[in-house]
Amino acid sequence: MQHGRITPNPTAREPVSVPLRPALYARFGDLAELRHDYPLVLVDRAEGAPLLRPLSRIIDDTLKLVAPADLTGESLRQQVLRLEADIRRKVMAGEEGRLSDLWREAAAGIVAGEGQAPFGEVDNNLETARKKLPLDGIVIGCDAATPDKVLCHAWNAKQADKARRFRKIVDGLILRLSDILKSDHMKSDEAHDADALAAAMGTTADGTIDFSVLSDVLHRARPEDRLPEDRVARIEHALRVLKEQPFFAPGRASDRGPERRDPYSYSFDNCSDALEAYRDRLPDVLEFTKAMTVAELEMENKYRPELHDPIFERFETSDLSPEQIGLLPSALVCLRDGETMSAEIARSYEALACGLPITVLIQVDDLLGPTSPEPPQNSFGAGTARLAAMAMGLNNAFVLQTTSAHLHRMNDALERGMRYEGPALFCLYSGATPSMPDVAPYILSAAATEARAFPSFVYDPAAGEDWASRFDLAGNPQIAQDWPEHRLLFEDSDGQRMEKAIAFTFADFVICDRRYARFCHAVERSEWSEEMIPVSEWLRSTSKQDERHVPYVSVIDPGDRMFRVGVDGKITEAARRCIDGWKRLLEMGGINNSHVIRALAEDRLRREDEARNVAPTETTEPPAPSAASEPAQAVPVVAEAPAAEPVSDGAPWIETPRCTTCNECVQTNDALFAYNDDMQAYIADPDAGTYRQIVEAAEGCQVSIIHPGQPRNPDEPNLEELIERAAAFN
Amino acid sequence: MTASMSQSLAQMVQTDYEIGDYQSSIAPRWCTGCGDTAILTAMQRLCRDEQLPPEKTVCVSGIGCASRLPHYMNAYGFHGIHGRALPIAEGIKIRRPDMSVFVTTGDGDCCSIGAAHWLHAVRYNMNMTMLLHDNNVYGLTKKQASPTSPKGLSTNTTPTGASLNPLNPLTVTLGIANVSFVAQVVDWIPELLYEVLQKAYHHKGFSFIRILQRCPNFMDHHFDAWMQDPARTRILTHGDGLRLRPEMSRVYKNQETHDPRDMARALALAAMPDEVPVGILYSNPDVPCYDELRAGERPSTPALVETVLNEEFDKVGIWPAEEEA
Repeated sequence: MQHGRITPNPTAREPVSVPLRPALYARFGDLAELRHDYPLVLVDRAEGAPLLRPLSRIIDDTLKLVAPADLTGESLRQQVLRLEADIRRKVMAGEEGRLSDLWREAAAGIVAGEGQAPFGEVDNNLETARKKLPLDGIVIGCDAATPDKVLCHAWNAKQADKARRFRKIVDGLILRLSDILKSDHMKSDEAHDADALAAAMGTTADGTIDFSVLSDVLHRARPEDRLPEDRVARIEHALRVLKEQPFFAPGRASDRGPERRDPYSYSFDNCSDALEAYRDRLPDVLEFTKAMTVAELEMENKYRPELHDPIFERFETSDLSPEQIGLLPSALVCLRDGETMSAEIARSYEALACGLPITVLIQVDDLLGPTSPEPPQNSFGAGTARLAAMAMGLNNAFVLQTTSAHLHRMNDALERGMRYEGPALFCLYSGATPSMPDVAPYILSAAATEARAFPSFVYDPAAGEDWASRFDLAGNPQIAQDWPEHRLLFEDSDGQRMEKAIAFTFADFVICDRRYARFCHAVERSEWSEEMIPVSEWLRSTSKQDERHVPYVSVIDPGDRMFRVGVDGKITEAARRCIDGWKRLLEMGGINNSHVIRALAEDRLRREDEARNVAPTETTEPPAPSAASEPAQAVPVVAEAPAAEPVSDGAPWIETPRCTTCNECVQTNDALFAYNDDMQAYIADPDAGTYRQIVEAAEGCQVSIIHPGQPRNPDEPNLEELIERAAAFN
Repeated sequence: MTASMSQSLAQMVQTDYEIGDYQSSIAPRWCTGCGDTAILTAMQRLCRDEQLPPEKTVCVSGIGCASRLPHYMNAYGFHGIHGRALPIAEGIKIRRPDMSVFVTTGDGDCCSIGAAHWLHAVRYNMNMTMLLHDNNVYGLTKKQASPTSPKGLSTNTTPTGASLNPLNPLTVTLGIANVSFVAQVVDWIPELLYEVLQKAYHHKGFSFIRILQRCPNFMDHHFDAWMQDPARTRILTHGDGLRLRPEMSRVYKNQETHDPRDMARALALAAMPDEVPVGILYSNPDVPCYDELRAGERPSTPALVETVLNEEFDKVGIWPAEEEA
């Protein structure tokens, strides 16, 4: 594999004037020919579908479905991969459209190019594969507009989910309230007058029914329990507010009555407008929330004016719960660092800090240039990357920082951020830096993460209560190292294949920026010496003023010739700041955490001290008697209590839990026998009836649970006979 | 309710329904000693203990002695036509999922004329409780053989004795696809009747309870053998099923720990010839419910129905020429 060739640098000893690229970029010369994460498909929202999926992955998924893995599928595979390359080239040239449409266009082009007629083999193959596409959506390339498109897509998907949930709840309430009013109306005079009955029959009424007579009949039969007027008024008001809500569109284009207002827009390009709209809409939010709560209470028949009226009168903005706010749309504010006023960025932080339902996108195009909130004077490249880190300090806001190149890998975080019921900040680097036109935005945005200039991370307050749960750095390469290392294969001046590991540092990232070319100087091969060391090594040296060594970066020129470029202190200082920031992030992520390292060191020292202080002494004391050797304590054995049987004192009794409520005994004498709260019989008053009644009830009891006991009145006639009959039940 | 605020405000309104709140003004007109009264009492106890608002409770029935039950409950009731209680109950449940739906039916109503609905109700597995009052006879019409009448039973329609083996509602129900809850209980052990009913009510899905029920007029002493000999009643206990009190355990010593998820054992228990299994034979709350599967994304409000219909009509609409412009 040839990545570059070492040849004498023609521009050595002169200021670097040709566009430079780090040597590791050599293999990504022509992205249009490489399968990579772009074009990206903004997937149509469906159950279980991701927000984003690279075209190459979708093609792979499709091929698994349609092309046999053996040689018989090879022809189809080649055709589909060729089609993928065509789409990739078109998208990189600026075309955009739905995947299925781009597929059809590209397929037609291939068929025509092959000289085949439509419905020929190639056409059929590609059409078969198209029908098996598991996903569809807008296909986008990687450029300056990518972060905005991706975030708007994710936000729209979230709003669509919210709208579905909202409509389900609100429509359910509307239906239920309408039912209540309808059933009340059905008891009214209007519903039963002759005209209403005739209208209900419709045009099929042929005069055979006398509706006035029918109306009289129904009038006599209908229930009188109408709803109180205040309840009807309350329900009607709630119903009207629910029906006319301005937060979400009806969901179906034709479902638009004259009473409907145009729904509010929630997409803003500055924070001031978003905050103003939030304030202006608060009265509507309050009225809607109250109406919804009233509706829910009315639905359950739980509204009590004496209890609830005062509460609703006092209900104000501060009473709105996150759950109630979360039901309504959240605002989207798209800001662009460098273009947006610093004050707007600062204001967005205020909005985030307030916990308002707001999703803020800060798109960054230039990591090294002027930045908000304060343009850097002596520390270029330090401000922008801190925007997201600063937002983590707000604690209640979801924060995601990543680059265009890593967006699809952060799909899960993107979805979590959209699901988060609170403020969210998405800080995305597009890679479309104006001062680096020679490097594709995809490469540059990937390089920003590699160079630790714009690390990917997520701070999700909903993920748990501690930093370990909330903060995640997993999206970064070779996380345990200062700089990620990659193998570079190249051909030396003798034509030999060479290989070496190169660390990708902040200096490699900066070197492409024309504004900083003046801080670099080319070094001719003849001048290479032991004193020249890679920037990564130079930064590892403890001395900041290492005069002896010259830090360099391996670069290539447009002809892929590799040479070295020495970098000035301006760049190495920035690289030190960059790695310092990265190490702080690592600490937050629990890697090389200084508190832990210090505590471990102290603990080790303490253990070592303890080990030294404990002198080994022989013990002559007999071992402590083990618990087992002690005489077992006498454990009092508790004899099992005999089962409690009903003690017969001669009084009649009933096995109440077994009573089947057959009414037989209570019909005999309802003063003697009665039902308890569970509608099961017991002896209410043994003296309220005769012994004969008790015995007969015992005989009649279907489940034989009445026990007559002994007669209480010795003067009752025929006692001997009754006692004999009762014996079977005692 | 969707919002915690509504829940808090609703909790301010305390309900204290008593058993009398579920008793209608009509006194039960079942024969003295009829097992249906025990079932009615168990239902009213359940409603009280669960504090089910009467206006959120509905009892649906078909025709027969058992089907008189809705008259005696102070709740919504629907005394339907013979064998058709289940389709009506399904309609209620799908339109009003917030209602607690109970279906009371007899062995003739369910296992004969309503058999088709019974099979499909089990398969639909909608969230409701069905009580099959099985007295082995048509009682309301003065003793005709029902599908569960024992072979040889002499009735008005079988004067020389029923010639077929009886149908076993338990094995039938257990054999239907999507079955999710099958229990058996007897009306003469009210404590277990109540507990099984409570378990069935809390089960998510279609709960089928077969209740062996005494008919003192036309099947007098029919269940005496089981009533008088507790050893012939096998109580099915389990951590997820019934748990007997010690007092009950002393009387009903014939017990078996039965896992309600064990279908093979449930079928074997259901088919026992001499003993009556009492308890939960099968319970699987993971079976999908038709009412949940079919719950639309949006409730069908009149406005939505009209909108959708208009959209469909517009697809094939032919407009008068003058309106085209």
